[in-house]
Amino acid sequence: MEHILIIGGGVGGALAHDLTLRGYRVTLVERGELLSGTTGRHHGLLHSGGRYVFHDAETARECYEENRILRHIASEAIEPNGGLFIALNEEDISHQDRFLEGCNAAGIPTAPLSPRQAMSREPALNPALLAAVGVPDAVMDAWRLAMAFFATARANGAAIRTFCEVTDLKMLGRQVAGVRVIDHRSGLSETIGADLVVNAAGPWSGRIAAMAGIGVPIQPGPGVMVAVRGRVTQAVVNRLHPAGEGDIIVPQRRLSVLGTTAWLADDPDQVTAPAEHVARLFSLCAELVPAVAAMAPHAVWSASRPLLQSSQDQDPFAISRTFDCFDHAARDGIEGLVTLIGGKATTMRAMAEQTADLIGRKTGRDIACHTRETILLPYRRYWRGDMGN
Amino acid sequence: MKSETTEKKPSPQIEFRIERYKPGLIDPPRFQSFRVAVDDQMSVLDGLEQIRLRQDAGLMYRHSCHHSACGTCACRINGIERLACTTLILSLNTETVVLEPLHGFPRLGDLAVEMTPFYRDIDPAWSLLTPAESIEGAAEPAADPPLRLEACIECGCCVSSCPAAHRNAEFMGPAALAALHRQMAKVDSPRQRDLLAAAASPRGERLCERALNCSRVCPTDVYPARHIADLRRLVKA
Ligand SMILES: Cc1cc2nc3c(=O)[nH]c(=O)nc-3n(C[C@H](O)[C@H](O)[C@H](O)COP(=O)(O)OP(=O)(O)OC[C@H]3O[C@@H](n4cnc5c(N)ncnc54)[C@H](O)[C@@H]3O)c2cc1C
Ligand code: SF4
Ligand code: SF4
Ligand code: FES
Repeated sequence: MEHILIIGGGVGGALAHDLTLRGYRVTLVERGELLSGTTGRHHGLLHSGGRYVFHDAETARECYEENRILRHIASEAIEPNGGLFIALNEEDISHQDRFLEGCNAAGIPTAPLSPRQAMSREPALNPALLAAVGVPDAVMDAWRLAMAFFATARANGAAIRTFCEVTDLKMLGRQVAGVRVIDHRSGLSETIGADLVVNAAGPWSGRIAAMAGIGVPIQPGPGVMVAVRGRVTQAVVNRLHPAGEGDIIVPQRRLSVLGTTAWLADDPDQVTAPAEHVARLFSLCAELVPAVAAMAPHAVWSASRPLLQSSQDQDPFAISRTFDCFDHAARDGIEGLVTLIGGKATTMRAMAEQTADLIGRKTGRDIACHTRETILLPYRRYWRGDMGN
Repeated sequence: MKSETTEKKPSPQIEFRIERYKPGLIDPPRFQSFRVAVDDQMSVLDGLEQIRLRQDAGLMYRHSCHHSACGTCACRINGIERLACTTLILSLNTETVVLEPLHGFPRLGDLAVEMTPFYRDIDPAWSLLTPAESIEGAAEPAADPPLRLEACIECGCCVSSCPAAHRNAEFMGPAALAALHRQMAKVDSPRQRDLLAAAASPRGERLCERALNCSRVCPTDVYPARHIADLRRLVKA
């Protein structure tokens, strides 16, 4: 079978899993540790889709479908405690009908709660809340959920090379024939040949495309997150309004993660966590759960969304979170290169399926996808693969 | 909301002394110093990121979540096992930050270690989920009690700090014993007996010297030594 080389150890793990199940020979290279890009350090929200019903119905539907699939194939990496959208003022209330209709249209189940019901479930909520709607949000362990894909891909034969950075594409005329990498362990460069290269470098995918002399519509969109000690709620808390800054609290283990801000950046490597963003997150999230105002930050960090660019200078919260994969043969006349951009961690399996379907068409093979029903191995098998069990 | 640039106040320079190792290249390991401009919000992991992005693209360390959830960034910071992501540089109160990989793990390169031995006595199938502590004032939901992920993030700090694990490679170690004890709470009594038998084996709890380093360094308050003490009581009973 063809040798497919994947650049990027984020959603690339789900792709490696899909392609090995379909029988391809797979190599994945990642410049650092696996999941050291965006996929390891997002909020950990396993979206119900509720956050997207106002402006992005397609993503909302995708999220809910994938939410159910991931609960089935990777249940151990998910805290299944639901989510609430809460309305705190008349403006929030004015969005409620559109929210419920949007959820309904996307197939997302909702459970309207009275303020009293919401407070008895989650006593830390702002007692001034006017309405609440329950949705099937959940929380994932960003590392362990994604590592389950890597563990399964590896057990099925994928070669996974960490600390292995792509420095150039190996071009034969207008054909990509492999990659040049530097292995940071040995300090040595080498060429890895491949029948097809997949650019899954997330916010860095523009740099990989540039190595083939082409562009891709990627816009790094960083955001800041803050973790505080203590689980303030059991369920995820969202503000009932079109997604904006500081409107979500994601409990995880004995922490709570406050999110997020968004801006547009040019360099995905140079993203900082400006102090004013941290202050804004505390004051906005304290509207949802007043107790967070008095909490000290336990960790402050940022990550870059790989946003699929549609037009310049948009509100970064309004840019669609959908994904796309590009065949550069059709798009730019470059053979042997596919780029996968956009999406969410929640939709990584669907992104992989669509990309593997494209690879099937390009390699002239019609092999069905089996990732919807294949239960992933426990993530610890990544290290225990050769130890039996 | 176009790109935001931040005005930085003049920041103190801190020396990062990092134990470098690359098999066949920087071999045996040796220390190398880097200077980093820091502010009071920067973690040791932020410092490592700056060195990799601005000074040496080949610097190897593990990281993922940046908030003490994944466990990958554990290393020895000024001689003590800690997470790089939740250790603020200036809170260390030193002009030099000395960084070494975890003790007793095979080295991959620089601060990155190979985690395979850590999982030797942790069954991949042991559950990651546990009932969440109830929140004060909350009415217990009738069905579906809330679950949370286990507190142990499998960082390896406890194993690196454990003198018994270094003296005796056969010792199951604090992380595996704590995980075993947590798993006992989730299974029926025949399986509990099997787990207890593993804890009572010559490689199990009897090798613990009660030095308590494990509980001191654990970044997520698992207190492995308490789990080992509980197992010891159950084994004796
Ligand atoms: C602030 C924020 C919050 C978010 N919250 C959520 C959430 O709660 N739920 C959710 O579902 N989604 C969330 N997302 C979105 C989600 O995290 C991303 O859409 C997704 O993780 C992107 O995955 P990716 O694989 O495309 O990119 P990445 O995970 O960044 O993967 C790309 C990989 O390529 C590697 N790479 C780059 N260059 C090279 C090279 N030259 N050679 C080799 N490797 C290379 C990088 O190191 C990186 O690991 C959030 C995003 C942000 C920014
Ligand atoms: S208490 Fe036991 S397991 Fe923990 S560090 Fe000491 S000897 Fe090791
Ligand atoms: S018990 Fe604590 S120190 Fe040991 S691996 Fe788990 S989290 Fe790390
Ligand atoms: S980076 Fe995940 S624990 Fe530090």
